[in-house]
Amino acid sequence: MQVIIHSALLQGLVYAFMVLGVFITFRVLDFPDLSVDGSLPLGAAVTAAMIAGGQSPLLATLTGVGAGLCAGFVTGFLHLLLKGDDSDATNYGPKLLAGILTMTALYTVNLRIMGRSNVPLLGVDVVFDKIGALFSVSMSGWNLIIGLAALALVIKYLLDWLLHTEFGLCLQATGDNEGMIRAMGTNTNVTRIVGLGIANALVALSGSLVAQQQGFADVGMGIGTIVAGLAGVIMGEVLFGVRSVSWVLFSVIGGSIVYRLLIAVSLRLGIAPTDLKLLTAVLVVVALSVPTVRKKVMHS
Amino acid sequence: MSEAQGHAVARSAEGASPCCAAPLELRGVRKLFFPGTANEVVALDGIDLEVPAGQFVSIIGSNGSGKSTLLNAVAGTFPVTAGRIVLGGRDVTRLPDYVRSRSIGRVFQDPRAGTAPDMTIEENLAISLMRTKRSGLRMGVTNKRRAVMREQLARLGMGLEDRLKAGVSKLSGGQRQAMSLLMATIVQPSLLLLDEHTAALDPKVAATIMELTGEIVTERGLTTLMVTHNMELALRYGDRLLMMHAGRVVLDLDHEQKAALQVSDLIEKFHEVAGEAFAVDRMLLDP
Repeated sequence: MQVIIHSALLQGLVYAFMVLGVFITFRVLDFPDLSVDGSLPLGAAVTAAMIAGGQSPLLATLTGVGAGLCAGFVTGFLHLLLKGDDSDATNYGPKLLAGILTMTALYTVNLRIMGRSNVPLLGVDVVFDKIGALFSVSMSGWNLIIGLAALALVIKYLLDWLLHTEFGLCLQATGDNEGMIRAMGTNTNVTRIVGLGIANALVALSGSLVAQQQGFADVGMGIGTIVAGLAGVIMGEVLFGVRSVSWVLFSVIGGSIVYRLLIAVSLRLGIAPTDLKLLTAVLVVVALSVPTVRKKVMHS
Repeated sequence: MSEAQGHAVARSAEGASPCCAAPLELRGVRKLFFPGTANEVVALDGIDLEVPAGQFVSIIGSNGSGKSTLLNAVAGTFPVTAGRIVLGGRDVTRLPDYVRSRSIGRVFQDPRAGTAPDMTIEENLAISLMRTKRSGLRMGVTNKRRAVMREQLARLGMGLEDRLKAGVSKLSGGQRQAMSLLMATIVQPSLLLLDEHTAALDPKVAATIMELTGEIVTERGLTTLMVTHNMELALRYGDRLLMMHAGRVVLDLDHEQKAALQVSDLIEKFHEVAGEAFAVDRMLLDP
């Protein structure tokens, strides 16, 4: 049991940044951004290639995050190109296509960065070792979990602050009522691109940390990121509530952990790891259809 | 504190010098939709219009007459096919909508259009207080801004000043439209565009919103274009009345000419000018 909880917390926390990123695109910006399937391995690839090349793990992590930021900007620019003069905020076609294009392009980029499909990080110091050395503790077991939880808290409060600044209110309004915020003098093309950049930077941070935690970066590690992220967001919202932006940021971190707990339990019950993606997809479908079904039942 | 002083607070709190009401000038403005196709529509057919600063203009016309297109052209929702739009001496024809928005306040027909539903009342109003400035990394909702909001909300007489943290989606259509109106004018705009902003409300609420509109516009001397389906409203409010038909201004009445008219006269006028059947029932029945 302790093994399961430990694994769920560890996985839930390293992937929490990705879930926060998906929350920002899906919920705050109302932009279903599929590029996260590419920006997660991008963060991992950049970090792994740099560490394997002898660079400092901290710098490698930050560069990975920066690469994610740029990937988000690219998606934002592509969306701008694809949507043209169309000012209909509910037209998801260009948004989906922009994400798919970035995701596909990133597959090649990631392979190029790594030079092969898998870069191992065994026997080298990663960012956790460096941070641990700073406080003279060994970053393993529960120490690692506490360290990751602290980072998640810091990021949570940074996002909370950002979303309540003047810029943050414009960012929120861009996803909530684009026509209104344009009529209030805000260039939503800018807010959207910046928002996508921030979201993909968070996703890349997860990718970077996952690679360093599991000891390798793999070009295929991003497959299904968007669905896993969505599962985390929805579970967090359903289980912990959405009473305010500050609160829901906690909720989705919780959702990330609960999702990994379900995965860990499923694995323990003997479900094959290869079946997990289908399981996740089913989970998301069920969670998404609960409100619709409930409404139907109530009205019948 | 008097209303006028209240507005002075709104201004000084923001530090942005609100541009005063500005004159608006349209020269030969044309707008074609789907140009060069079988579906080509001439929505605006050479509009020449001079609106002096502080004038309140009511615009009527049947469906498809181009009155909403006219407002959208001024607001920059789409580029015009030809012509020039000058606001306060500045040629804004090529400026994107969000740049023009810094000096143009708008209220739309749909009460949901003017506010962000998943954000709180104070967050919405904070956005409207930032209109003329670049948004930065300062806190959006500050106590200073809250004081301005409370005072401005109090004048709506809807008790919203005590519900700053309530989500806007919880408000009624009338409350949302009142907020939209407040948000469009809280930082003095050079021009106010009202696009059938009471048409989607029930009659009683519509009357309240219209009264509030009249008060705000008069008190602050806003240059205003108000599109409406309702002839009675058009006669009662405003210093000038325009009637549009097929993308042109077919009737332009000043204050005195307008004061002498009844709704029935207006319908007659329309027949004279447009020379074709008119959707009278629609015009009379709409609130």
